[in-house]
Amino acid sequence: MRYFRLHRIFIAQYLKKLMEYKADFLLGAVGLLFAQAIQLIFIGIIFSQIPDLRGWTYEQILFIYGFSLISKSLDHLFTDNLWMVGYRIIRKGDFDKYLTRPINTLFHVIAENFCVDAFGEMLTCVLLLCVSIPKLNMPFHWYTIPLWIVAAIFATLIYTSLKIITAAIAFWTKSSGHITHMLYMANDFSKYPVSIYNRFVQIVITYILPFAFTAYFPASYFLTGKDPLFCIGGTVVAGSLLFALALFVWNRGLKAYESAGS
Amino acid sequence: MENMIYADDLRKEFKKIIKEPGIKGSVKALFKPHKEIVKAVDGITFSVPKGEILGFIGPNGAGKSTVIKMLTGILTPTSGTCRINGKIPQEDRKNYVREIGVVFGQRTQLWWDLALRETYAVLKEIYQVPDDKYKKRMDFLNEVLELDSFITSPVRTLSLGQRMRADIAASLLHSPKVLFLDEPTIGLDVVVKENIRNAIRRINAEEGTTVILTTHDLSDIELLCERIVMVDKGKKVFDGAISELKRDYGDVRTLNFELVNSPDFKLLDYKRRFNLTDDDISVERDKGTVKVRFDTAAVSVEEIISYTLSTVHVKDLNIKDVEIEEIIKKLYRREVRV
Amino acid sequence: MSRVRRFFRTYIPFSRAGIQEAVVYRANFICFLIGEIMSAFIMYFVWKAVFLSSGSETFMGFTMEDMVVYLFISFLTGYLTYSDGAFAVGEEIVDGSIAARMIRPCSFEMCFLFQELGNRLISVSMIFVPIVAGVEIYRYITCGELRFNIVYFLLYIVSLLIAYMISFYFNVCYGFMAFFFKNLWGTTLIKETLVGFLSGAVVPLVFLPSGLAAVLNFLPFASLSYTPVMIYMGMYTYPQIAMRLGLQLFWMVVMFGVSKLIWRSAVKRLAVQGG
Repeated sequence: MRYFRLHRIFIAQYLKKLMEYKADFLLGAVGLLFAQAIQLIFIGIIFSQIPDLRGWTYEQILFIYGFSLISKSLDHLFTDNLWMVGYRIIRKGDFDKYLTRPINTLFHVIAENFCVDAFGEMLTCVLLLCVSIPKLNMPFHWYTIPLWIVAAIFATLIYTSLKIITAAIAFWTKSSGHITHMLYMANDFSKYPVSIYNRFVQIVITYILPFAFTAYFPASYFLTGKDPLFCIGGTVVAGSLLFALALFVWNRGLKAYESAGS
Repeated sequence: MENMIYADDLRKEFKKIIKEPGIKGSVKALFKPHKEIVKAVDGITFSVPKGEILGFIGPNGAGKSTVIKMLTGILTPTSGTCRINGKIPQEDRKNYVREIGVVFGQRTQLWWDLALRETYAVLKEIYQVPDDKYKKRMDFLNEVLELDSFITSPVRTLSLGQRMRADIAASLLHSPKVLFLDEPTIGLDVVVKENIRNAIRRINAEEGTTVILTTHDLSDIELLCERIVMVDKGKKVFDGAISELKRDYGDVRTLNFELVNSPDFKLLDYKRRFNLTDDDISVERDKGTVKVRFDTAAVSVEEIISYTLSTVHVKDLNIKDVEIEEIIKKLYRREVRV
Repeated sequence: MSRVRRFFRTYIPFSRAGIQEAVVYRANFICFLIGEIMSAFIMYFVWKAVFLSSGSETFMGFTMEDMVVYLFISFLTGYLTYSDGAFAVGEEIVDGSIAARMIRPCSFEMCFLFQELGNRLISVSMIFVPIVAGVEIYRYITCGELRFNIVYFLLYIVSLLIAYMISFYFNVCYGFMAFFFKNLWGTTLIKETLVGFLSGAVVPLVFLPSGLAAVLNFLPFASLSYTPVMIYMGMYTYPQIAMRLGLQLFWMVVMFGVSKLIWRSAVKRLAVQGG
C-alpha cells in the first residue's frame, strides 16, 4: 500500500516535470508512433500481394502486432528507468543514493521515472486492436476479459523481468545498456506468428527468451480459442519464473555492486 | 560511553583491469585483459562513541570513501564487520538506513528537475515521516540551513553552496542517529563553509547525532572534530584526539622574524649552519619578514633563535603554534611512525 | 604534397583515438551488431513466409534469392554508412564543449570524420567479409553457380563510399538541430525511421507505388542505401549505374554545401549566446 502511494507521488512529480519539457515528450511519442507506422506500411505492402501469411489473415496479423504492443508499451511506460541503470546510473556511481534509502531499490529505480513517450506505442496499439477486432470473429465468453488482463500483466512482467536482468548485469560490468538494447531488438520476433520461424528460433523465443508469450501465444488463443492452458498458462508461468529470476539476479547484483570512484 | 559505530577489520578488494597505453595496449586488452586485485581497504578497525564528531581523513584514494560506503551499506565488505547502533548495514538495509543520513558532497541525492520543496515531500514519504513531525523538522532545518530563499527553485538551478545545504537538510529530514558526510564542504566559499560547519555543530549538540566526516579541508577538522582517524593506502595510520596528535607529533614549529634591514635576509643560511635538508626546514621571505618552519627533532627552537639573533638585527619575533596541516602532511608522507 | 601530408598529420590522431574508442566499447559494438543482425533475420523469416504463402516464384519482380541478397546487403550498407557524428555534435552543443572545437586549428567536421573512420575500421573489418561471403555462398548454394560479379562489386564500393559521405554530412546537418531541440532522442527516432524507410532499408523502393518510388529514387535518401545495394545486385545497366553515381555525387555536394551554411549560422548563434 505504501508503495502504491509512493508510486503515485513519483508519477505526480514526473508529470509536473513533463510540463516543462513538453516538446521533448511530444517528439518522443511522435517518434514511436512513426516507427510503428512504418512497420505497418511494410505489412500492408506484403498483404497487397498475398492473401494470407502462412494461414494468418491480414487482420489476424494486425491483431497479433497490436497485442504485442500492449505489454511492450506498458513496460515502456513504467520501467523505462531500467535503461538508465545499464547505461548511466551504475557507471557514474549514482546508484549509491538508492542504497541509502529505506525502500526497495528496484522499486525506487523503476518508480522514479515514468515514460510518457510510450503513449505513441499505446495509441498504435489501440488503433490496431480497434481496426482488427471488429473484422475478426473472435470467441467471446465471460472470462475473456479477465484473461486479457491476466495475459497483459504477465506478458508485461516477461518484458520487465528481462529488462531487470539485463540492467542488473551492470552491477558486475558497470555498463549493460547495450545488452538491454540487443534484447530489445530480439523482442521484434514476437510481432509475427511463431510458425514463420524455423525450429531453432521457435525454441529460443518460446523457452529461452519467451518473447512469444508476450504476444503470439496469448493473441492466438484470443483469436482461435485453442490451447488456453499453454497460451495463457504459459504466459503466467513464464512471467512468474522470469520475475523470480530477475529478483534473484538483482539482489545478487546489489551485493556485487562496486560503487564508482574512490 | 557506548559505541555508536564499530568497525572490525574491514576489508574491501576490487578487481581492476590494467590497460597498457596506446593502440597496442588497447588491442592487447581486447584479447587478454590483465586483471589485478586492489586492496582499497586493508583491515581497518575503529569505533565511534555516541554523539562524537569524527574526522575521517587521508589522501586521495586512501580508502576513505570505500569505508564510508561500507558503513552506509552501499558496499559489501570483502571481509570484516561493521555495526552501527547494533545493526549490520548489509543485513537489513531498509531498516538500517532509516537511522542514518548520508551526504556525498561530490554528487547530489536530490532530484535534478524537482523543486526543492517537492524533493522533501517525496523524501518525507520515502522515510515515512509523520505530518506534524515533518512540519517541525522543516522549520528547524530552514532555520539552521537557511533554505527559505531557494526552497521553491528546481535543484538544477541551485548554486553549489545552496545545493550542499539542501543535500544536508535532505539527509537530516528523518532525524537520523548517525550522519555520514563525505566531503561536505568541497568547492564551497568561506561563508558557506562556515554556515555548514555551524549547522553540523548545532545538530550534533542539540540532537546528539553522531557524525562521521571526511574532508580535505583541515579547518573543518580543527573546528568540528574532537577526534580523527587517518587512513592511507587502505590502512589506518592514526586514531586519536587532535590534542594527542599535536602532543605526539607536534614537532613542527614556525618562527617569524621581522628584520630591521630586509636585505640582511641573504645572510641567513639555516641549512648550511645546522646541516639540514629540505624536509627539516623551510624558509619563506615576505618583504621584511622571514618565516622559518622547522622540525624540532632536527634542530631546536633555541638554536634557531640564537643563530638568527646573532646573525641579523631583529625588530620583532613570534612563535606560532603547531599547525595540524604540517603534521598531516608529514603523516601523509609516512614520515611519522605510529 | 607537403600540404597533403600536413592534412593527414593533423587528422590521423583522431582516427587513432577512434580505434581505441572502438576497442574500449567493443562489447557495445558486438551487442549492437547482434541486435541488428537479428532484425535482418526477422525480415528474412517474414519474406520466406511471404514467398511460401504467395505460391509464386517472384514477388513484384524479386525472387527469394534476390530478397535475401537485398536484405543482407542493405543491412551491411546501412551499417557501413551509418554515421553518428550527429549525436556527438548535439551533445557538444548541449554541454557547451563545442566552443573548444571552434578555437582549435582544425576543421570541425574533419575531426569527427577521421575519428569516425578510425572507429569504424575495426567493426568494418569484422563484418564486411563475413556478410559478403555469406551472401555469396547462399547465392551459390541456391542457384548452383557463382553469381559474384567483381565489376559490380567494385562499383558498389564506390557507391558505398559516396553514400557514407552523404550520410556523414546529412548527419552533421542534423546534429546542428540540437541548437533547437535539447533532447535528441525523439527526433533521432523520427529521423532514423524516416531515413530507413525512404532509403529502401525497410522494403525495396520498387515495391512502392510507382509515382512514390520515382520521387524517392531521386531524393538523397535512396543514395544512402538503395542505390549501392541495387548496384551490387546487378539490377542496373551500366548507363543507369553512371546516372545513379552522378546523382549520388550531386547529393553529396548539396549536403556538404548545406552543412557549411548551417555551420556558419550556427557559429553566429553561438557567438550570440556567448558559447
